[in-house]
Amino acid sequence: MEPVSYTAQWMAAARAIESERDDALFVDPLARDLAVPRGFELIDRYEGGGLLPFITIRTKFLDDSIAELDNGIAQVVLIAAGMDTRAFRLDWPEGTVVYEVDHGALLAEKDRRLAALGARPKVDRRAVPADLTREWLPDLEKAGFDPSRPTLWVAEALTFFLTEEQAAGLLGTLGGASAPGSRLALDILGRALLRSPFSRTFLDTLRADGTPWIFGTDEPEEFLAANGWKVRELREPGQPGVGEGRWPYEVQSRNRRGANRLWLIRAEIVGH
Amino acid sequence: MASAGIEKVRDWILGRHPERTELAEDVRLLDSRLVDSLSFVELVYVIEDASGAEIDFDSIDLEDFQTVAAIERAFFARGES
Repeated sequence: MEPVSYTAQWMAAARAIESERDDALFVDPLARDLAVPRGFELIDRYEGGGLLPFITIRTKFLDDSIAELDNGIAQVVLIAAGMDTRAFRLDWPEGTVVYEVDHGALLAEKDRRLAALGARPKVDRRAVPADLTREWLPDLEKAGFDPSRPTLWVAEALTFFLTEEQAAGLLGTLGGASAPGSRLALDILGRALLRSPFSRTFLDTLRADGTPWIFGTDEPEEFLAANGWKVRELREPGQPGVGEGRWPYEVQSRNRRGANRLWLIRAEIVGH
Repeated sequence: MASAGIEKVRDWILGRHPERTELAEDVRLLDSRLVDSLSFVELVYVIEDASGAEIDFDSIDLEDFQTVAAIERAFFARGES
């Protein structure tokens, strides 16, 4: 498997660990089987720096982004879905279609494991094998996606691994396939986190593993606006409703210089 | 005798780790994960508050933050005399 597949296992391991807590923010009974063989080892390898609570809080934030969906949106696209199991564990409105886009080898392995577990999706789930570094919208449309209908796009833990140009291009691509009323839920790193000497060891480890964190911004509203999206909600872990009580750090006020930001974002398409 | 400022720093670190009751000045804060990549920024703010100095994030030298002794040397030594 490719290196990014191992980060998918890492996130599945984080979800498995969360699911076993008494105060779990969500329960993902499939995560443990999707995390092998390397997920738990990577939890240890990347330990520290708030990653485990961050993955948990982000998962819940994006779950909530789906739960608050307007009735007008009946197609949801999980971009670089990895070992995500939302199609199996969330309740979906009747008639919703969920597209999971990721590279073919990962999706095939995921489907093989899910089938062995007897897992049944709770929604019309369609796996879309695609190479996200090339033009992939045709693959999505082939699976049934209709760009004339509003969409919720979910890009979880994706922009980190892109360059700024690639991240901008992704937002532009999504925007171009978004009917009025479409929404986007995603997370973006702050820049300070990527520049901090205190993050160096962790960032070097990710780089050595072939999955460097590259892109971050301290001006997420401007970045989204420049690429066709208007931020509706901008949150940070530890705020009320976003992992308050589960985040082991202080939430820093917006103007505090040097602070490490992990942006959780809900946005809407700007009218064409 | 340690300055009041460095004691505030030490208390802040201990406050984050209720399992510890003391913190020797030569304990490696980063290697032992007493301070991690996200909490370091809070450490910087605590040092700024306690020392009155402003720390430039762009020119931070990790060596100044490795131990309580290093922090004291880098940010509190002048107030000692």
